[in-house]
This record gives sequence, C-alpha cells and structure tokens, in this order.
Amino acid sequence: MIIPVRCFTCGKVIGSAYEPFRNRVENGEEPAKVLDDLGITRYCCRRMLLTHVDLIEEIKPFS
Amino acid sequence: MQIDVLEIEDTRAKLLIYDADPFIVNALRRTLMSDIPKMAIEEVDFHLGPIGTTEGGRVADGSSPLFDEIIAHRLGLIPIPTDLKRFNRRDECDHEPEKSCPLCTITYTLHKVGPCTVYSGDLEPINGPEFRPRDELIPIVELSEGQAIYITANAVLGTGKEHAKWQVTSGVGYKYYPSVTIDDSKCTDCRRCIEICPENVFEEMDGKVVVKNPENCSLCNTCVDECPDSIKVEGDRTKFIFSFETDGSLSAEETLKYALQHLADRFEALRESVSELK
Repeated sequence: MIIPVRCFTCGKVIGSAYEPFRNRVENGEEPAKVLDDLGITRYCCRRMLLTHVDLIEEIKPFS
Repeated sequence: MQIDVLEIEDTRAKLLIYDADPFIVNALRRTLMSDIPKMAIEEVDFHLGPIGTTEGGRVADGSSPLFDEIIAHRLGLIPIPTDLKRFNRRDECDHEPEKSCPLCTITYTLHKVGPCTVYSGDLEPINGPEFRPRDELIPIVELSEGQAIYITANAVLGTGKEHAKWQVTSGVGYKYYPSVTIDDSKCTDCRRCIEICPENVFEEMDGKVVVKNPENCSLCNTCVDECPDSIKVEGDRTKFIFSFETDGSLSAEETLKYALQHLADRFEALRESVSELK
C-alpha cells in the first residue's frame, strides 16, 4: 500500500525518507549507502524501506 | 549515579552512565519510552460531499483511496512539535474533559484537491505556525482526479503508556561498558579476530593486533569463540553506554531532563508514602 509513517518495530518516523530513498536509488545510488545517509541505521527501519511495495497507484482510482 | 554526555544532537543522544545498576538504568529506559508527554493528533473530522474543484472545473468529492480510519491513524503518528510548558493534559485542563481549549489542544486543518500527494507539511495549524510538523515529507495519502480531502484534526497531550503515537523516543537501549583485552603472550597474530568482529573493534598496528574501538564492542563474544586463549571480553556491570533518539516532537535534551525529573518525582512520592506507613 502506501509507505507506513513509522517503523513497525521501533517507532522511528521513516515515511518521510521514502521519497528521497526511492529517487536516489532510481538514479543509480546503492540502497545501503542511501539508507546510511538518511540516518536509517537499525535493521528494523531499513527493512521498512527496502521491502516496501508501493501499491497505492493500483487502488488510487477507487474511493 | 553519574551521567556523562558522549554525543548529543537535536534528536539523538548517547550517554555514559556510571556508578549505576542495571535496574536503575532500565527505569530510565522505561521512563523515556512510556512517561514523557507529547502532542499527537487524537480526533479527526472528515468533511464529506463536494469540497473543491479541480483545475478542469470538475467537482471533487471528499473521498480518498484509503479508509478514513487509516488516514486518521497515519495523522496520529506524525510528530507534532510540543512545548511542555505551554500545554495541559486535556483531563487536567480547567474545563469539562469533553471540551477543548487552546491550553490543551492544537487544531489543524488540511484541505487538498487531487491529483496530488498529501504530505504532513500540508497540515495547517490554527494555533500558530510554530506547531507546523517539522517533518514535512511524510506522505499521508495520494489522491487522483476527482478526489479531495478536507479535514480538521485536534492534537492533545498523552504518553506512550496510552498509545505508541505518544511515544517520544525510539531505539532506547543500553549495554554494559565493554572491556576487550588481548593477551599478547598468547596472541599468534593470525588476524582472524579482525576479520570476524562485526563491530570493527580490532585493528592491525605495526604488525600486531590491537584493540582500536573497545566502545563499539557489543559483547557478542564471536572473537572469544574464535580465540579463547588470548582474547578476553567483559562487561562492566556498573557502567553503561545508553543511547536513544526522539521523533522530533521534543529535543533529546528536553526529553532526558524531563525523564530524570519525572523519575526523581516518582521516587520522592514513593518515599513519602512509605514514610507515612506506621
């Protein structure tokens, strides 16, 4: 669906890091380095971004 | 108990606590997680019906692809800048608990017409610009053509005990202060410990293996398993490395000061009630 606001495990806000993360990875940067740079250091928070599947586009036409 | 600040930034802190016991440090950890008050959005009103027109002149309805409950939940999780001196808890405020006033509530409005992404930065605080969420890039919902959102939301004070949205800190933890020693007479300079240590504690210097970053050690004992003869890893049970981060609603310094004061007050209350016993 849409990126969760916070990490499920520790509660750190990760929603705001998703768009910079996605844009930088699409521009060819290495995901691990981008995550370090964005200050997302714990593996619970890192998996939130790494494993996210953005399905909001699919359900957008419906309301 | 003594506390030294190793590192402190706006939203994170690393402390060295010494002359302490694990239960005292754990009390501080639990206080930081569940007893610090902060503002979070608690009530959300969704306006329905036609609430805007798109650029093409089409009327947009108050509807979105996500359920209202999901949007309300996401709004609750957004960190709201909190001034603890300025606000009361609603149930301790000077009016009936169902009512609200500017001393206990921050009101926000959010009005956006699709197609667009709605961000936390689109929340408009009515009480003053200082309450605008500092993290402006959190996506709340995406809207397509013909969809729109118009809400009013109230933020109130609460603690992590009640709901995780009022939890100020994350990643609160501590470890014993590590001491790593190499017995040079038994070390064969095989350098296996440099390879296997996940925290880069060891380093080679002038052909010898030395302990470079002892504070990084997580006491995992991987090196001891590899080399039980010469490496010794121990944790000091009266000295701790303590770290935490905040979500940005309060600074790390404010949070720590509040937690220490709160702990002292609670111990004082306990002492008083015990001394009243006969």
